[in-house]
Amino acid sequence: MASFMSLVIAGLATGAIYALIAIGFSLLWQTSQTINFAQGEFVMLPAFFVLAAINAGAPFWLAALIGLVISVIILGAMFKRLLVDPMLRHGVLPLAIATMALSIFLRESVKEFYSAEASPFPSFIPGTTIGFAGISVSLQHVGVVLVAIASVMALTALLDRTPIGRQMQACAQNPDVARILGIPVERMIMYTFLINGLLVGIASLLVSPIYLAKFSSGETLGLAAFIAAIVGGFNRIRGAIAGGFLLGIADNLAAAYVSTQYRGAVPLFLLIAVILLRPQGLFGKAEERTV
Amino acid sequence: MDNPLLKLDGIIAGYGSMTILNGTSFEVRRGVITTVIGPNGAGKSTVFKAIFGLLKLRAGSIHFDGQSITGWSPRRLIEAGIVYVPQGRNIFPEMSVRHNLEFGAVAAANIADLPQRIEAALDRFPALREKADVQASTLSGGQQKQLEIMRGLLLDPKLILIDEPSIGLSPLLVQETFAILKELRAKGVTILMIEQNARMALEMSDDGLVLELGQTRLHGPAHDILNDPRIAQLFLGGAMGAAA
Repeated sequence: MASFMSLVIAGLATGAIYALIAIGFSLLWQTSQTINFAQGEFVMLPAFFVLAAINAGAPFWLAALIGLVISVIILGAMFKRLLVDPMLRHGVLPLAIATMALSIFLRESVKEFYSAEASPFPSFIPGTTIGFAGISVSLQHVGVVLVAIASVMALTALLDRTPIGRQMQACAQNPDVARILGIPVERMIMYTFLINGLLVGIASLLVSPIYLAKFSSGETLGLAAFIAAIVGGFNRIRGAIAGGFLLGIADNLAAAYVSTQYRGAVPLFLLIAVILLRPQGLFGKAEERTV
Repeated sequence: MDNPLLKLDGIIAGYGSMTILNGTSFEVRRGVITTVIGPNGAGKSTVFKAIFGLLKLRAGSIHFDGQSITGWSPRRLIEAGIVYVPQGRNIFPEMSVRHNLEFGAVAAANIADLPQRIEAALDRFPALREKADVQASTLSGGQQKQLEIMRGLLLDPKLILIDEPSIGLSPLLVQETFAILKELRAKGVTILMIEQNARMALEMSDDGLVLELGQTRLHGPAHDILNDPRIAQLFLGGAMGAAA
């Protein structure tokens, strides 16, 4: 039982990171019909911004801050202006393909210009293990869960309690109506991209101390978060959160009780089951579109 | 016309390479209901979008209350006193009726007495008060339209642009909606309305405006338009020139 609980807590930590990334998927989809297949690389990249700042002599806290700011600027604002805006005019599919190209570009650029090796990454939280009621828990895992939960709470408070958040929700629900009510729809969409830039930056700071900073780490993270968003319901933020945690826990339990070799297949089994039984996702809403 | 509330002068606008408004010009009197009629493709809805800043003008100018509003954003226009109620259902279906109303005032965040205004509006529409805290998607078509009008009224507009308010409504609800518009006129609000149900709309309007191929063909007292023999011809698909 104790080891089961330890696995669940480790799973929650993985799931919390998936959830942060999946929320970004969901936000971009809801406000601008962007499916960002480079989302995994967006999580991989900020770690290298931080490492570059550390190499330039910045203390870790400052480097982390620089990493977050650069993430918001490059992976938020510039991503929207330079790639999404020009491509979205041609439709959702060309944009999705362009983000796939971007993911390859980012991955190969880091490999070429930084390193092909995994780089150790510092952490704000010590990696010690603590015992509690017979359960041994990594302090880092607890920290990851707490930071992720705090981030999600801050985001939901922003969306539900502030005028800007409410305007963003209005744009997600119906941009045409939002426009006639005088809501600056374009600006609200930009805000969601900036938020996504911040979320992937936070996810990067949380995941890199555990799995190291490596050019290829975005592949698995991006896929897992994409599946989490679909399992939870792509058009719901709470779906993305639930999907993230579900996937994280299932992943860890499957590795321990089923087979480590089949660990990677678990998210895919979940994905197939959800698509067959509840295509709109656990919390999602069915959407209709004319093709 | 002396001191019109709205004045369009030589508007040219369209979508992509297609020009819909070919030098549209007209004036709207203050405190009256003006109904815009015309065959499909005449540019009725397009002219509303152009007035409300949702469509970029290629040429021409728009004046509202004596000042140029050409190129203004919807937000600025709302603040100046123009509200737009487009065709179809324009609510946030997943939000409650009350939240939908609060959203109507998003552009005018400095309304201090918004809660009181919402309460007053709910008093005016008892059917909506009953459903104030339920999802707006549960409202009937007529109630949804009323919600849209009500949302616009919270901003105390001087001019309401309303596109096909009767579409999809039962005859009784159409009567109710038109009664609301008449009530607004009595309070001094100017209404510019597009309506397929031309006869009924013109009967309650002060002025009528006939658009064809993006140009004003007729403009005058609603009664005159209603009795103009060329109108029937126009709505049967003939061109004004041929009928004249």
